[in-house]
Amino acid sequence: MQNIKTIARREMRAYFDSLVAYVVIGGSMLGLGIFFFLFQQGGFWQVDRATMARMFEFMPWALTLLVIPLITMRLLADEKRSGTLELLITMPVKDSDVILGKYFAALGLATVLLLATLIYPIAMFVWPWHIGALDWGPVFAGYLGLFLFSAAGIAIGLLYSSITDSQIIAFFLTVTTLLFIYFIGSLAETVHHAVGDVISFVSFQSRFHPFARGLVDTRDVLYFLSITAICLLIAFRSLESRKWS
Amino acid sequence: MSSDVMIYANDLTKNFGSFRALDKINFEVRRGEVVGFLGPNGAGKSTTMRILTCFIAPSGGVAKINGHDIFDDTLEVRRSVGYLPQRAPLYLEMSVLEYLRFAADIRQLDDATFKKRARNVVEVCGLAQVLGKEIRHLSHGYRQRVGLGQALIHDPPILILDEPTSDLDPNEKAEFLDYLKQIGKQRTVLLSTHNLAEVEIACSRAIIVSSGRIVADGALDDIRAKAGKIRYVTSIQGEAGRALPRSELQAALSGIRGVTRVADLASDEAGHSFELSSNRDIDLRRDIFRLAVDKGWTLLELHRDTQTLEDVFRELTIGDERRNRSLGSNGQSQRHHMEQSVQG
Repeated sequence: MQNIKTIARREMRAYFDSLVAYVVIGGSMLGLGIFFFLFQQGGFWQVDRATMARMFEFMPWALTLLVIPLITMRLLADEKRSGTLELLITMPVKDSDVILGKYFAALGLATVLLLATLIYPIAMFVWPWHIGALDWGPVFAGYLGLFLFSAAGIAIGLLYSSITDSQIIAFFLTVTTLLFIYFIGSLAETVHHAVGDVISFVSFQSRFHPFARGLVDTRDVLYFLSITAICLLIAFRSLESRKWS
Repeated sequence: MSSDVMIYANDLTKNFGSFRALDKINFEVRRGEVVGFLGPNGAGKSTTMRILTCFIAPSGGVAKINGHDIFDDTLEVRRSVGYLPQRAPLYLEMSVLEYLRFAADIRQLDDATFKKRARNVVEVCGLAQVLGKEIRHLSHGYRQRVGLGQALIHDPPILILDEPTSDLDPNEKAEFLDYLKQIGKQRTVLLSTHNLAEVEIACSRAIIVSSGRIVADGALDDIRAKAGKIRYVTSIQGEAGRALPRSELQAALSGIRGVTRVADLASDEAGHSFELSSNRDIDLRRDIFRLAVDKGWTLLELHRDTQTLEDVFRELTIGDERRNRSLGSNGQSQRHHMEQSVQG
């Protein structure tokens, strides 16, 4: 436990010592601002409703294309390439500590980003402005959804980072997988219903959508948690496999 | 296995696919020994060290560190060892102090112990000037010192150092080796290097590996005794073109007092060539010349050179056949060079 914390703390520092944290947080906030107020149906003001729905439309994009790939690509790939992994692993740490430490650091950074976006509902509906009566239920459910989305996405990214020593490859594999697994959700209604069922079972979009509408279904929660657990387990095995290669 | 044995390797084998990197390596290192682990690149030094530090697993065999099995007790093994991998891979974005702190945290030293140990490590590794600097801004020499610092931070009984001097300048090297001798008194140190002279300074014993096998393991004096030999190369022709049996020549040369070995070198129609070995203190050139005069041979060539530690190392690690071939190719390239300069 102590070691997980030590490793996570070091990773977190590395995020803020490099540009990654600033690019991720700054880029997402900028994208969110532009999307929220300007694009699609004339932006937030044209919709004229006290809702955060636009945020939950945008954030999966940001997480998929920018946040998750950027914060996970270097986690293990870079350490393998530079050889620092050898020094880390030959210290008295368990392989699982390494995986979990890195995982929690990335999840921590994603959480910081999600907390930063809370400035939108708070500034508009609580203080200093109060432009309408916001229904907070869907907002909290939506945030829970985003958190679970990040948790599963980061586990996928970490898995890719554990099987390659190239950050670029890890980045593209993560983007591709997340894009695919998110947006196949849109296909669910256009194909044969048996196939459609399978698609909506695995798609992040169909799993995330209920959260954005304020519906917390334990099946969806379990789905994201299972993806997380499975990917972390594979990442752990992949790290372990260096011993036998 | 006595309790004095700190590093124990029995039949260690490692295959990478079909390539056998280590082939049944056996050795022991006792408490208080500083052992040099020598071999050319790719001989299996780093592989052995990575196995001993639990970074990779052997394909076969047993290894124990401080009595702990590397399979069953891997965390204990890693607690007992301070390890510096090749080229000191450190987190570049951290400062030296942060890095030492990180190593101490992972090793779960409390704050007071860390302060005490850090002071000691900073002093012995000469890090006082760079403590606040980011590692990315340090020279390779300093990075290696930081790497050594992290290996020492928990005061381990065993140090495993993979080419710790490769990036140091000559002054730093001398200092480092001196320091190794100091700490080697209470600790067990296994250090790998290409450089036999370094081993001579710091180690009491050397293990030489080649192509995944141990080719020599012994006190440095024994290896030095082997290295102290002087060799003579001579080329002899019989009387006025009379063919002289090689065995006769060899027997006569072996008869010279002080000759310990007569080895055949390549011969051509002009004559037979031999390599003679002897002990350090007698010069055989005179005797060889007299023998040639007595027998009526023509002496085409005779020279003497001292075999250095490096020569022994090369002899053990590339083998006689390769050595002869490389001599031959040297000659060729010399001839080639001469031809070129004549043309020029």
